[in-house]
Formats: sequence, structure tokens, C-alpha cells
Amino acid sequence: MSDGMYAGEPALEAYGLGMRYRRGWALKDCSFRLPTGRICGLVGPNGAGKTTLLSIAAHVLEPTQGSVSLFGETPGSAESGRRTAFLAQEKPLFRRFTVAETLRLGRELNPGWDQRAAEDIVRAGNVPFDAKISTLSGGQRTRVALALAFGKRPDLLLLDEPMSDLDPVVRHEIMGTLLAEAAEHGTTVLMSTHVLAELENVCDYLVVVSGGGVRLAGDVDELMSVHTLVTGAKEGDGPPAALGQHTLVESRTSGRQFTALVRPQGPVTGPWETDSPTMEELLLAYLRSPEAPPLITPTAQVQGQGLDGSFGTGAVAA
Amino acid sequence: MSTFTGSSNPAGAGPGTTTDGKNGTRNGTMNATTTTTTTNTSTSADTESVGTWRPRLSGMTWLVWRQHRAAFWTILAATALSVAWMVYQRGQMTDFLDSHGYPAKNIDDIGEQFRPYIDSFRSATLGLSVIPILLGVFLGAPLLAGDLENGTAKLVAAQSMSRTRWLVTKLGLAGLVVVVSTTALSAVFGWWWSPVKSEATVLEWFSGPAFDNTGPVPVGLTLLSVFGGVAIGVVLRRTLMAMVVTFGFTVAVQILWGQFRLSFGDVITVNTHKGVGETSFPSIPDGAYQPDQWYLTGSGDLVGWGICAEPTEAARNACLEKADVVGWSVEYIPTSQMNSMQWFGASVLFALTAAVVAFLVVWGRKRLV
Repeated sequence: MSDGMYAGEPALEAYGLGMRYRRGWALKDCSFRLPTGRICGLVGPNGAGKTTLLSIAAHVLEPTQGSVSLFGETPGSAESGRRTAFLAQEKPLFRRFTVAETLRLGRELNPGWDQRAAEDIVRAGNVPFDAKISTLSGGQRTRVALALAFGKRPDLLLLDEPMSDLDPVVRHEIMGTLLAEAAEHGTTVLMSTHVLAELENVCDYLVVVSGGGVRLAGDVDELMSVHTLVTGAKEGDGPPAALGQHTLVESRTSGRQFTALVRPQGPVTGPWETDSPTMEELLLAYLRSPEAPPLITPTAQVQGQGLDGSFGTGAVAA
Repeated sequence: MSTFTGSSNPAGAGPGTTTDGKNGTRNGTMNATTTTTTTNTSTSADTESVGTWRPRLSGMTWLVWRQHRAAFWTILAATALSVAWMVYQRGQMTDFLDSHGYPAKNIDDIGEQFRPYIDSFRSATLGLSVIPILLGVFLGAPLLAGDLENGTAKLVAAQSMSRTRWLVTKLGLAGLVVVVSTTALSAVFGWWWSPVKSEATVLEWFSGPAFDNTGPVPVGLTLLSVFGGVAIGVVLRRTLMAMVVTFGFTVAVQILWGQFRLSFGDVITVNTHKGVGETSFPSIPDGAYQPDQWYLTGSGDLVGWGICAEPTEAARNACLEKADVVGWSVEYIPTSQMNSMQWFGASVLFALTAAVVAFLVVWGRKRLV
């Protein structure tokens, strides 16, 4: 299942990335690999370093440690600048420009500009071309900002909380546009969010950052398949000792029941019910337990990273 | 379409043409937008420029001009108005002087009737003197601070062109507008002043209003004030605060310049040995600036010319005798040096401006957003 992915050219690779602000480390020793053509969700609590990570990739910030490579190039290079589009969280646009002028900005500053793609995105939202940006609603502004990002025809689209200020209907609609565009052009998307429900039917790749480091990274199907949700009767305080042979991510008790998310190291046997977790359960478990051992699947590992043994070969087969 | 080339707009023609056909049934706004894509040169036919003439701009130049066009046009229009007003005033003044027989007749003899002309001169110099402060605060300080504050710097940095190019285009266009405006004002003001340049009652050449508003000096002062404001803006990253600090900076530049203005001249010293009687003062060129004058003693020492302020002539002579005063030592800078002093001073201002620009470019490479 994963042979093809190893062969794929990485769209983004982070090597030991670290960023220190005056108040401390926002990102530390962050390494992962994102293959091309994936829609990747970048998940983490507030202040986990998502924006920092995207800003470094977009060459808005210089990392304190480590490096990022985009299609094998450094973020500041002309080549990676052309192939990457970045939509910052606040979706900055020139407020006094009209929508048409905003698209002209994209046309004037990008050699590979696709006017039709950009216009189609704007038109799909019925945004008037002669309206000033300052008169648009939040959803319309997001749409124009997305049009500007897509019109660049990027190979990698970096989106920082693209839907955060939109109502559910517009959110759904714009997400649909985004997926259609990405699918049509084979664009790799790295999108940060903390709305987990947003990811369920959208992403086929996940990177979870928490406490400054990568907790989970890899193909969604692969990540789901190596985790098991175990439910059973509570014995004593913690999770049952018999689960000890597996890697425990999180366990919680409610009433007389316990629920544990484990990475099985062999068959899970015992008087319990086992189930495969939903993406939301998986993400919540990792976000709630920052001390859980990180899991970075082989497709998401950069060179020299697999040595920590966090991903047993037996588990891949499962 | 995933291959990218370095040419100016390779993808423009392809999608543009197809959209154009599809767009025929849509509204005019979109149609106009697409038209520009198809024929990349017909920029002036673009939606936003219908009805107004503007130079054909493209790429980064278009963006910077579009973003700051209100400020740029205001500066250029105000310059044009001021130039027209000064040309008119000069005509009025020369008509008046001609009708009163100047320069054959002394300007002091024309008297009070010339007063209004001097007044309009003075008000013009006042207006010209605040230009560096005004442009520094309202053009320089917000030039980049606004983009950093609104996040639009990130927007521009996310496009394919390098941020150094953005920075250089911004500084270049703002600098060009400043240079065009101040050069025009300086030249026309100098032309207005030229018929009465030798009249100290109108303006003394070495005074701030004359020295700072003619030749290259206003250009240098304004460039330093504006680019200094830009640098303050990028450091503070807040428009309003940058404007306030830039106001302080530009006022400080004016004060410091006032202190050093005349130190760019070559001071000429004349010594006399004919005593210090009533007719003994050395003749120096008309209108020369005299920084200082002393009594010269027999031993070559200089003493203050006030040392023998005695009530009677006899006592004064005795005092002079006692001090061995043999003549005058007078320092002056002749009017003929004005031009070279202005260029020397302006070159210092230009060098400082270049240092500020170098700082901005180095800083821009490191962190521009």
C-alpha cells in the first residue's frame, strides 16, 4: 500500500525545525515529510506552532534551528517562491483595491498566473469584481484570498486556518471549491486548523504538532489502521495491565468503563471490545496526551529519522 | 501547467483567450479584466483605469503605484499648484520692479510698496521649509509600516517576486516622486528669487529660508527625512507611532542641519594693519556672510573687538594703544560660495540617505514581514 508513496517526490520536508521567540520555543525539533499530491491537515492546540511552521515554509519567518525544503529548494529561492502559495491566517488583502485589482496583483506578480482559475473561484461565490475589498464580508474576502492563492497555480498551497472565521455553510462551500481545485491540478495542500470535524472528509494526510514537536504524522488510512480503540470494564485505577504490551496513547475512565487508544504490538486479546477509532478520536487522544510516544509513519519520515523505532515494522503489516 | 518558466506571463494568453469567449455574455467588469490578460500590453484599458489617464505600469511598479497613488498624486498635484503660484508671483514681482526702475534704483528706496512682495516670499519659504517634515511623516513613515501593520507585506511576500524587489520598487517610486517634486519646487523658487538674490532685505543667502530651499539642499533634506521615516516605520511596525517618531526625527534633522549649514563653507580671513578707525574696516564682498571679526594685535593675536568700549574717544585710543591693536581680522564667506556649499551639504545628506537605504535593504533581506 505504501510502496508508491515512498517513491513520491516530497513537497515539503522539515528537518529538526526549531523557532524561538522571546517568550520561548514555539517549535522544537520538528521533522516530517509531506509527499506531493496530498491534502494534509496540520493539527494542534492553540500556540502549538502551526502558524510558525507554515510561516517558515512560506519564507515569512527564518527558523532558529533546522531547515525546510520545498520540492528540494529552500523557502527563499525563486523556484520555491513560484511553486508555493501561502494564505496567512488574517488573510491580508489591500483594503482599497477592488476584487479585479486584487486579481491583477496576482497577475502582475506571478509569472504562471492563471486568470481563469482565479476568476472562477471568485465568480463561484458571486463576489462582484468591481467591489472594494473593504466592503466584502469575511467569507467573500476569504474567497478572494483563496482565488489569489490558487491563481498562482502553486504546487504546494499553505493555508493557515483558512476557514476560521466563516459560517458552516460558507465553510463547506469554500472547502468544496478548494478540494475541487486541488484535485484538478494535483496541488499539495498543507492546511492548519483546530476544527477537527473539518478534516474528516478532506484530508488524506495528517501532521499533529503539540508542545512544539510533531506528535503524529502520516497517511490517514495508515494512522487509523495502526491504532485500536479498546473499551472494557475498569479494573483498578489505570488501564488494565494486560494492555501493557501495547503502546498506550491514552486511557480514560468513565463510571465503570475504561476507554484506551493503543498502538497494538500484536493481537489485542482480552475481555474487551476493540474498534478502530474515528479520526476525531485519534486526534483528540494525541492532543490530550502530549506525553504519548510520537508516531511518524515511514512516508512522513525524513532521511535518518526512522532510527527512533517509533514505528514498528509489525504494525505496518497490520 | 505545472511547469514554470521565467518569462513575463506565459500562462496569460492561454487561459485568457478561452475565458474571453466564455465571458462575452457576462458583465463588462469581468470582461475588461480578462481583456487585459489576453493582451498584456493594454494595461491602460483596465477596469480600474477607465476614464483617467495614467502611465502604463506593470508588475511591481503597478502594485506600488496603485497602493500609494493617492499620496503620489497629492504630492505631484500640490507641487504643480505651488509651481504655478510661484511663477505667477514672480511675474507680479518683476512687473512691479520693472515699473519702479529696479535694479537702477535701490530697492530700499522703493520702500513700503515692495513690502507685500517680500511677505509672499517669506510665506513661500515657510511653506517650502515644512515639506521635508510633511513628506517624512505622511509619505515616509507609513510607506512600509502600513504594510507591516496590516499584514499586506505577507501578501506581497507570498507572491513570486522577491521581497527585495518590492522594497526597492517602493523606495524607488517614493524617492522618484520626492525628487521630482522637490527639484521642481527648488528650481522655481530659485528662479523667483534670482532677480532679488543680492538684496539682503528680501532674503540673506546664508539664512535657512534661502539656503535650504534652493539648489540640491531641499532634495537632500526631503529624501533623508522620507527614507528616515521609512526606516523608523519598519523598526516600529506601527503606522501611527512611526508617524509621531518621524515627526521628531524630521524636526531634529532640521535643527541639526541649521547648526551645520554654514560649516560647509570655506571661511576667508582678511587682516588689515591700518588701525581700527572709522574708515579702516576692510572691504568685503557685498552680501558676504561674516561669522566673526576681531581686532588684530601687533603680535598677531586676535582680541575681541569689544575690549575697548570706553566712553570717550581718548580713553578708547589709549586702550587700543595699550593692547597694541593694529587692525582688523574679519572672517567671511562670500555669496559666490553658496552653490558649492549647497552641493557639499547636499552630498552629505545624500550619503546619509544612502546609508539609510542600505540599512533598509539589509533589513529587508532578513525580515520584511
